[in-house]
Amino acid sequence: MSRGETPSQHNSTLAVSPVVGNRNLQMQHQSQQRNDPTLHNQGTLGNQGSSATQTLPGNQGSRNLSHSHRTQTPHHSVTYSPLVQKIQNNASLASLATPAPAQNHGGSTAGLLASMTKSGLFGPAMPSTLRKVSATLDPGRTRGVGQEDKMNMDDLLDSNQIVDSIDVTQLPAAEKLRLWRHDSLMQHQYRTAEYIGDKVYAMTGDPNDAFWLAQVYYNSGSYVRAVELLTRNNLDASSVMCRYLTALCLVQLKKHEEALDIVGETNPFQDPLSNRVKNQDGGIKLESSMCFLRGKIFAALNNFERAKECLKEALQVDVKNFEAFDELISKNLLTPNEEWMFVASLDFTELGDNDEFIKSLYISRLSKHLNLDQVRKAQDFLIDEYKLENNTDIIHSHVDMLFTQCKFSKCLKLCEEALEHDEYSFTILPTYISCLYELGGKNKLFLISHKLAENFPKHPITWFGVGAYYMCTNKISEARKYFSKASILDPTFSQAWIGFAHTYAVEGEHEQAISAYSTASRFFPGTHLPNLFLGMQYLLMGTLQLAEEYFILAYDVCPYDPLLLNEMGVLYFKKNDFVKAKKYLKKAWEAIKALDSESKSWVSIHTNLAHSYRKLGENERAVKCFKLVLETAGKDTDTLCALGYVYLRMNRIGKAIDSLHGSLALCPSNQTAQELLKQALEVNLLTALDDNHPLMVSSQIRQQSSSLENRKRTANKLDAHAMAKRLKHGQNSSDDELYDGDSMELEYTSMQ
Amino acid sequence: MDEPFVQLVSDIKTELTYSSSQLSRLKLYNSAKWSAEALWGMCVIEPTTSFTDFSKMDESPLRNRCNTEAIVPQQSPEKASPSMDTFEYNQYLLASTLFDCKEFDRCAYFLADSTHPELLFLKLYSKFLSWDKKNQESVENMLTAKDVKGVQGIGNVNGDSKGRESIERFRDYEAGNNGHHKKSADLDNGDSTSVPAILKELNQYLSENREKEEEVSVGFALLYYLKGVLYKLQDIPSNAISSFLSSLSLFPYNWTCWTELISCITRSDESLLLLKVLNEKLTSEKSQIMLKFFKLSVFQEFNGNIDDFIQELDYLLLIFPRFAFLKTQHALINYHYMDYVSAGLIFDQIIKLDPYRLEDMDTYSNILYVMQKTSKLAYLAQFASGVDRFRAETCCIIANYYSAKQEHEKSIMYFRRALTLNKNSTSAWTLMGHEFVELKNSHAAIECYRRAVDINPRDFKAWYGLGQAYEVLDMHLYSLYYFQRSCALKPLDKRMWQALASCYEKVDSIDESIRCYSRALQLSLNSSQDISILYRLAILHEQIKDIESCRGYMVKCVEAQEQSDGLISDEITKASLWLARHEAKHKKFAEAYKYALNVTHGSSQEIEEARALARECRRRMD
Repeated sequence: MSRGETPSQHNSTLAVSPVVGNRNLQMQHQSQQRNDPTLHNQGTLGNQGSSATQTLPGNQGSRNLSHSHRTQTPHHSVTYSPLVQKIQNNASLASLATPAPAQNHGGSTAGLLASMTKSGLFGPAMPSTLRKVSATLDPGRTRGVGQEDKMNMDDLLDSNQIVDSIDVTQLPAAEKLRLWRHDSLMQHQYRTAEYIGDKVYAMTGDPNDAFWLAQVYYNSGSYVRAVELLTRNNLDASSVMCRYLTALCLVQLKKHEEALDIVGETNPFQDPLSNRVKNQDGGIKLESSMCFLRGKIFAALNNFERAKECLKEALQVDVKNFEAFDELISKNLLTPNEEWMFVASLDFTELGDNDEFIKSLYISRLSKHLNLDQVRKAQDFLIDEYKLENNTDIIHSHVDMLFTQCKFSKCLKLCEEALEHDEYSFTILPTYISCLYELGGKNKLFLISHKLAENFPKHPITWFGVGAYYMCTNKISEARKYFSKASILDPTFSQAWIGFAHTYAVEGEHEQAISAYSTASRFFPGTHLPNLFLGMQYLLMGTLQLAEEYFILAYDVCPYDPLLLNEMGVLYFKKNDFVKAKKYLKKAWEAIKALDSESKSWVSIHTNLAHSYRKLGENERAVKCFKLVLETAGKDTDTLCALGYVYLRMNRIGKAIDSLHGSLALCPSNQTAQELLKQALEVNLLTALDDNHPLMVSSQIRQQSSSLENRKRTANKLDAHAMAKRLKHGQNSSDDELYDGDSMELEYTSMQ
Repeated sequence: MDEPFVQLVSDIKTELTYSSSQLSRLKLYNSAKWSAEALWGMCVIEPTTSFTDFSKMDESPLRNRCNTEAIVPQQSPEKASPSMDTFEYNQYLLASTLFDCKEFDRCAYFLADSTHPELLFLKLYSKFLSWDKKNQESVENMLTAKDVKGVQGIGNVNGDSKGRESIERFRDYEAGNNGHHKKSADLDNGDSTSVPAILKELNQYLSENREKEEEVSVGFALLYYLKGVLYKLQDIPSNAISSFLSSLSLFPYNWTCWTELISCITRSDESLLLLKVLNEKLTSEKSQIMLKFFKLSVFQEFNGNIDDFIQELDYLLLIFPRFAFLKTQHALINYHYMDYVSAGLIFDQIIKLDPYRLEDMDTYSNILYVMQKTSKLAYLAQFASGVDRFRAETCCIIANYYSAKQEHEKSIMYFRRALTLNKNSTSAWTLMGHEFVELKNSHAAIECYRRAVDINPRDFKAWYGLGQAYEVLDMHLYSLYYFQRSCALKPLDKRMWQALASCYEKVDSIDESIRCYSRALQLSLNSSQDISILYRLAILHEQIKDIESCRGYMVKCVEAQEQSDGLISDEITKASLWLARHEAKHKKFAEAYKYALNVTHGSSQEIEEARALARECRRRMD
């Protein structure tokens, strides 16, 4: 077994040739010199103090080897895999029962698909502490070769079909078994794989076989057995790959502490000089995967700061580690600003031609609160250059953008388009559900949650959808049940957590809401929402100091959200700091300017702004704002009441009484409006009924108009627009003024 | 008939023909009906002239067709609009049939991406109707539920409070649901139609396609009309008015647009301004006709110069001698001037002319009610319910009938029914309020009046009713305000001023009260005869210790008696007694004696006192 071909932390698992049989075949068929460097490397194994520089030649060698394999040999395990069969339709159609290996193999793409490795897991590149070599290697190997003949018959069928590439019959028996095991693994026949793998391992005792058996265990979900197998043979100590697998199993078993012990608290391969070793095989570096795993473990241990660092490191080591990126973004570990700075700092050059492509893809996922032009640029680039306009992720980016801008109906439409292509796209669904909730589309929510519950009963989004439905239909306790179910299934699912907290907030249970929100804010340091909601709760409870603190925290994370600015405006309003309130509300207004006026936030911002104008004594502006709100959002008792109050203060009694009446018509029990109305009516009584009183003036107009026969002929020039303006002015200005103006004008015309 | 007149008449004829066909094509049935009725009611002129004029029409897209198919000009408009291509025409056909089948959502769906103004109008109009229908349905459920409860409540002894409760519940319901329903009607699917959304689309289209306005003027006119309607619904009358004006300047022969325009203005000074603007805007002869109609309607609402009105009416009657609408206007004006007999006569004519026309017949029933012609009212009720039992007008007539028979509960039930059929009928709300007043249920009455003024703030009767109802409840501050409102609407009606004055008197604002009474006296047709006002004025002046003026008014009171035919009212007795006392105090025993002798009616106490005074005076004189 070739020890020299080990993947180091700089390599991906691709670095070793995917198929065991091929390699061995080559070993045998090609000249002995191939083995020479590996043998040489094997010799260096004894040298415990070998440094990283020494390992490099070895790596290089292995890379060469793997490259040659890929170009020369077919990977027929790959051709068995259903994925490849689809591509090679002619071959698979002929013999479905026993899929024939294709004549022309998939080349390097197929190699990518089958990123499986058997041999060469152990190498000198390991840190010295971990380097323990199992002694059973060589005997096992020879035994395998000895049994080769027995297995010949089993592989005959296959080998017949592989005409020009490999002659399976010539393989040693253990190799055939390995092929068998490997193939069944590819076909997800785990029991076969387990059965055969176990036998192979028993026969050879090869640690590679142990590793593969562990892989089989992992795939079939028997994590404990995998761990046991790997630790029993101390494999996890001697191979990076095995260590990774062990840790992965432990994570699956939720034994996070142990997993952390295995992967180490910090990256052991960290290079202080930060000169990166280039990875040329196009796969993901194991080091990066280890970092990612570490990050996940820290996240599971609620150590989000460390988790963030690890995930960032994973990406810095290898940009291709999308999972780490996704974890960082979708779990809101980074604030919007950090996200942008981090992506800007990443080095995409390693990707060669694809660097722009991947960079744009990553950028399109970033927070839409800032740098919108860049996001748009990235989207356009992806659509123009790569024709990705129908790709779910690009649509998701658009959807996200619309959602951040509160353009819910547009967002909903786009979501529905995306879901037509991919009905259960889990990237789109959370936004879709939130949109439906915002727009009150309970019917559709009902349908989608039912569909999800049928098909994905264990997925958190399913229960998030159900919770949203109950929230929509105002069944709060039910909603809470399902939100908590969703957050139990995935503790890092932010929407579910926030929804859960909302259920308490809706019921007015501030204490519980606060504790839920603060958990959420601990879990998701990258989003300002939990802090915002915390602040809102404290605001409701009247604890302004705390509210302010939380708002400032949220403001640090995301100073662009109009909702936050609105809440801060309200806070300062409550603190009687109206100037500041006005400042923030104006900011919010700026932020929301581009939005549709139908959205709820638009209305509340305008209402609040109007109130602060009112407090600041800017009556005219307040009136304008209130009227705008009434015109766009329909009538509302409180708004009308406030408007009445402003009018009353401006001494426009008629208008005041009108709006107060309107307010009371909508809600007859509005105490404030009743009080104000009483006051207004008293003022009305005190208004002297002299010649300036509206009534007197109007009756005079009436008399004049009926006595004026030629009035119309001498009328002044007025176009429709000015007319409308006049009438509007008439509404705005006080009655007295208007009447005065009118009567004067009428007198003027009559004189002519 | 002189030449220009004939020319004008034929012009109007073509316009009306065109408008009726276009409007019915675009589903504005009421307007189309009005135009067609007007056309039908026009005076007949020789067919030859009308024919030549048909083809003379300039802008009409019909011109070409008229030349070729002059014999059947009415059929041509079916496929009318100039810029509609085949695809759009097919789209129109589909949408039109769907609209006729009242499948509004489908209609809007199939027109989703149309850009032709007429198609766009159809789309948005059907969207709006669908929204309206859904809203109304939710209200209707409430109304029917209430109907049952209301009737039960009235059956009980404590019916009053229950009736009120049910109405209040109705209000609460509407208020509570307004937030949701008023804003948007949806299928719980997330996509909803709401008035702002429709408006947004409309505004966008109108601002983008301004230059096309001339081509498809009807389409654009109707879009503007729709915009106005929506703005009105949103309570932004200024925008609504300007939209209606733009619509009318493009296409004046759309009667509902005119009526909507009236409903946007709430004060008489506004109406004057509006008329001024319209006079300048619509100068062509053809639109002048519509403006004249409009003036009649404005007059009905806000009053004005009666001579002008009569002049206009005569002119229009010359052109449209058989137009029921005009006759109704004539009748209404008589009704407003309380000349019930002639109003009734005109209505009789209308019924002869067009027996199955139910519009405005509720007004006729009001007239019959006031004139206490119960038998005729009964006949009218039977007849109307024979024509169509489920018309708001019919229900109002029946309600009036029951009211005349003093069966107020039944009357209220029928008013409710009328309101279910047409929730915007102000007069039904007001009359229902009156019925509740009859039942001494002020709170329910107030609710009804309130609804009426919510719908139509120009209805002075409702305002007046509100004032009265609050007066009964001793809430004078409120009633004062309502009287002010009604007075602002009818500043030339002395009853308003009187009511206002008594209200001021009750809240101890004597000066204001005096001013109002004096105003009422000014407006009184024969001011020297209005004894009650004179007496109140005297009393008020006494209260502010202006004895001289007080005496003056008292004297006027007594003098008024001489002019009246010996009918002696309470006030005169009191005035005489007061004068007698006053003169006696000032040692003018001769006058005092005279006044004291004058007291021949009144309570025994008063007569007793007068006698004592007279005796005393005689003694002193001697």
